[in-house]
Amino acid sequence: MVADESVETPSASGGREFWRRFRRSRAGVVGLSLVVLLIVVALAAPLLAPRDPQTTSMTTLKPPGTHGHPLGTDNLGRDILSGVLWGTRVSLTVGVCAAATAVLLGVFIGSMAGFYGGWADAVLGRVTELFQVIPRFVLALLVVALFGSGLWKLIAVIGILSWPQAARVVRGQVMALRGAAYVDAARVLGLRNARIIFSEILPNVLAPVVVIGSLDVAGSILLEASLGFFGLGDPNLVSWGMMLNNAQAHLRQAWWMSVFPGLGISLAVLGFNLMGDGLNDAANPRLGV
Amino acid sequence: MRTRMMAVFLVTLLATGMAAATPAEPQRGGSAVVAIGSDPETLNLGITTGYAVGAVAASIFSGLVWIDARGEIQPGLATSWTTSPDGLSYAFELRRGVKWHDGRVFTAQDVKFTMEQVTGLYHGRFRPAFQNFEAITVTSPQSIKITLKRPYAPLLRLLTVFDCPILPRHVYQGEDITRHSRNNDPVGTGPFKFREWVRGDRLVLERNDAYWDPVYLDRLIFRIIPGAALRVTALEVGEVDMVADFYLPKTDVDRLKRNPNVRLRLGQPIPSMGFMFINARRAPLDNPKVRRALALAINRVQIVTQAMGNLARPARGPFGDGFKWAFSPESDYNRLYPYNVERANALLDEAGLPRGAGGERPVRLRMVYDAARAPIAAAAAIIRDNLRAVGVTVDLQPMDRAVMIERIYTRPDYELTVQTFTSGGDPAIGYHRIFASAAPGVPFVNATGYSNPEVDSLLSRAAEVPERAARGKIYAQASKILAADVPTLMLFDEIGVDASRATLRGVWIGAEARDRWDAVWVQK
Amino acid sequence: MQAVPLLLGVIVVNFLLISLAPGDPVATLLGEYPAPPEYVAQLRREFGLDRPAPMRLALYAWNVARGELGFSFAYRLPVAALVAGRLGNTFLLMVTALSLAALVGVGLGVTAARRRGSGLDTAATGISLAGYSIPDFWLSQLLVLLFAVFLGWLPAQGIRSVREEYTGLAAFLDTARHLILPAAALSFRYTALISRLTRASMLEAMSQDFILAARARGLPERLVLLQHGLRNAALPVVTVIGYNFAFVLAGSALVETVFGWPGVGRLLYDAILQRDTPVLLGVLLMVSATVVVVNLLTDLLYAALDPRVRY
Repeated sequence: MVADESVETPSASGGREFWRRFRRSRAGVVGLSLVVLLIVVALAAPLLAPRDPQTTSMTTLKPPGTHGHPLGTDNLGRDILSGVLWGTRVSLTVGVCAAATAVLLGVFIGSMAGFYGGWADAVLGRVTELFQVIPRFVLALLVVALFGSGLWKLIAVIGILSWPQAARVVRGQVMALRGAAYVDAARVLGLRNARIIFSEILPNVLAPVVVIGSLDVAGSILLEASLGFFGLGDPNLVSWGMMLNNAQAHLRQAWWMSVFPGLGISLAVLGFNLMGDGLNDAANPRLGV
Repeated sequence: MRTRMMAVFLVTLLATGMAAATPAEPQRGGSAVVAIGSDPETLNLGITTGYAVGAVAASIFSGLVWIDARGEIQPGLATSWTTSPDGLSYAFELRRGVKWHDGRVFTAQDVKFTMEQVTGLYHGRFRPAFQNFEAITVTSPQSIKITLKRPYAPLLRLLTVFDCPILPRHVYQGEDITRHSRNNDPVGTGPFKFREWVRGDRLVLERNDAYWDPVYLDRLIFRIIPGAALRVTALEVGEVDMVADFYLPKTDVDRLKRNPNVRLRLGQPIPSMGFMFINARRAPLDNPKVRRALALAINRVQIVTQAMGNLARPARGPFGDGFKWAFSPESDYNRLYPYNVERANALLDEAGLPRGAGGERPVRLRMVYDAARAPIAAAAAIIRDNLRAVGVTVDLQPMDRAVMIERIYTRPDYELTVQTFTSGGDPAIGYHRIFASAAPGVPFVNATGYSNPEVDSLLSRAAEVPERAARGKIYAQASKILAADVPTLMLFDEIGVDASRATLRGVWIGAEARDRWDAVWVQK
Repeated sequence: MQAVPLLLGVIVVNFLLISLAPGDPVATLLGEYPAPPEYVAQLRREFGLDRPAPMRLALYAWNVARGELGFSFAYRLPVAALVAGRLGNTFLLMVTALSLAALVGVGLGVTAARRRGSGLDTAATGISLAGYSIPDFWLSQLLVLLFAVFLGWLPAQGIRSVREEYTGLAAFLDTARHLILPAAALSFRYTALISRLTRASMLEAMSQDFILAARARGLPERLVLLQHGLRNAALPVVTVIGYNFAFVLAGSALVETVFGWPGVGRLLYDAILQRDTPVLLGVLLMVSATVVVVNLLTDLLYAALDPRVRY
């Protein structure tokens, strides 16, 4: 998922044109529908789930179709369907919050670097490179294993490890726009730098940032699931990654413990990836693709 | 035509019958592959109690004795022994003609050296016992005498290869024992010699032809397979021949039972227990009423069924029922603390912890445990659920072993934790440490802060008195106090399961699955 | 070269992390029973744990410069030797997986580009979408289930059979058999990525002027495709493989753990559980160094392939 740096600035009649192009992208529409579905499920989990997902019982390892457990139960008698539904919350929370953290950090740092240039840019460039050279998953594994796996810690770790990509794109964009005519005009008008950044430059950076944001959510969900699979998720919550970790030991007796949460992860990641694709198509219309 | 067929049939029947009547003769040759979960840190079994180390090194070294499957002590490097009536003096006759793997001759000096310079200093289980040694005297090249300061009933059980493996003096004397290069390719007196070690992959041992008993296998191979489920798969498809209890995930046992190529041994002569430390230093856990309420609220049967896959029995008392003679019916948990939510709620109300608006009591407990151990994680989840039902909130905090050790034993900074300890063959070796007073800083002992001088003195006496009946009475007294105070809630007595391929014969002669590989042979 | 400050930065980051983390590595090594305090103190001295942090960092940096990466707590072996030994296995897995991904991915991408809009195109798109949405550890589990357990065709884990000691060709084949499932699992994501990028790149290239010109000159379609189109497709492949190397390395950690493949990823996982600091630092350092080198090579390769880029 390497971001395309040579992004074009969308036209000034931005919003509506953007949306129109997005609607034309099949990937985007499918993605958006999936995402909306997930959000609905996450919000409505308490209503949709037949029972509390963390309540244990003595009906263990029952296959899908058992009375009262449409998707079966796990080794501690917990309902799989309820787990999958509630798991949406953790995945979306971590995914969106981590991506938001990454994007905010990236935009801030990237625009500083792009606008001011000079040594600030050089230092930030080095730091970005450093973060890109250390494999993200390995570092996340280390940090969470060492410092603990509470929900907010997870969000912080994943977010902090993901900002370089957004920063790179934003920096490139800001640098390109720095010399644009309307920016000069604003300077002549005496606007302060911060104001210029905020009101003139950033709105035009919005489009690629949104694309990156969507892809970041997908990546964060996957990273959280990977950490959960290694047992490094928050055990006080229901998460798909942890469900897969649990499923590992019971794989042969209870394929349903693995299949349904795994499908959940795949659909969530797919949804955000597709949406990101659609947003990308909308932001950079390509010829005949 | 029919007569001929009948004749053939009868002859075949006879032949098969005769074959079945003859017991199979051990065959020499072949190799056995054992799955272990990690690389051993070292192969010097005298300086560590790590499980993987024992798995490999138990076949390279020998102890003075070994424990058989019925729990009886059998001669190893010592062929006979006598104990003085006052229990202070043990005299051993050592086996003659034993050679080290490098050809040198084994003598009593090796035993004295090992105890004084190696195991007595570094081995976690042997060292406390060694503190009680008055002297070790070599009375001849083949005999040795140990005198104690005070009687110690389980001494003989601490002379197995797992607690005091005899090391060669001519290799280690005068050198730094813990960093010695031979720790990674050792010289021992055991049935197998070290051959090869490929880190992360395998360890290979080969037959020691100079061993005093016949050794059938050509090679004994240890395959390192960190994933529990993968070990079972490997066993089922025949890539490994044996997975011992420590490395066998409980959840797969049912399926293995149905597999005709796999044989299981259930139950273990060396009991071990799972339990929950309750940190009495933290209010409201300093109140015995609260601890008793926890005992009533936690469903030990559910833990046994779901977390342990029925490979355990619900704990019946502070020392469990693994040692029949140490069990006291008066302190039976089944009578004192059956699963009873109403009584638990009542006790908690009495203790001044009323339920609030949302049904929760003003108690928040952190449950710290080893993230890598699946049955413990499951037990912790069940306990959390059980306690939620009586209004007590539990925060699960899984963590890596090193951090967990620090949080529980060094600092201590926790409210509840689930652990398992092995008895080591006698309650005095492995269970006393759960209840005896202990200061923070030392891992794997009492971490609750509970300290009762009466219990301490009872436990000391129980370690000294030699005969079981008298010891049982002392344990009954201690159990009464411990069952009332519940400093630690005992959860279950483990039922061990070892699994091996049916083609492997002569296995499990010893109490320990890791022991006595010289007796094993492969049925072709 | 800017590689050096980068590596220094990696060392500092790693060291900070591990110094700040809770946990006592010595305690993990001692097994289940209480160990004598003198022995514990000895271990601590041995591994330099009783010295102040800045001094340890300086010592470590100096040692790294000399090529000495310390001594593993758990394995009692020099870290450099330990990691170097495993690196080969990881590279074997990664190279196989990436080659597979390149071959299949380009093939899929080209086919999809040629038959644009057809069922094949949609199918290829579907596969590539699945590819980077499906978690690779889940996929690994399913592969083990299907091929090792139910069908029994392939081994479940490890790098070679233990029972028989193969040599020569037999050894090669044995390793190849063990390599199939983990490489397949690891390659899936990158197959998807490469096929997508190839398809897009091919489509873009094929609509360009020089392609039209080539066609106008009467060159057969196949030649047009191969010579011009594919050359442009090579670029995204190089990009994906080269710049995603860090990800592939990380992905291999997951796959290695599931399949018991004795590589760097599994070493990392074990080291985390055992809190084996020297190994953790060593792995992170070597992995980062590798990424730096690969990035450099990718830059050079990219420049060579793309006529528009000039340094």
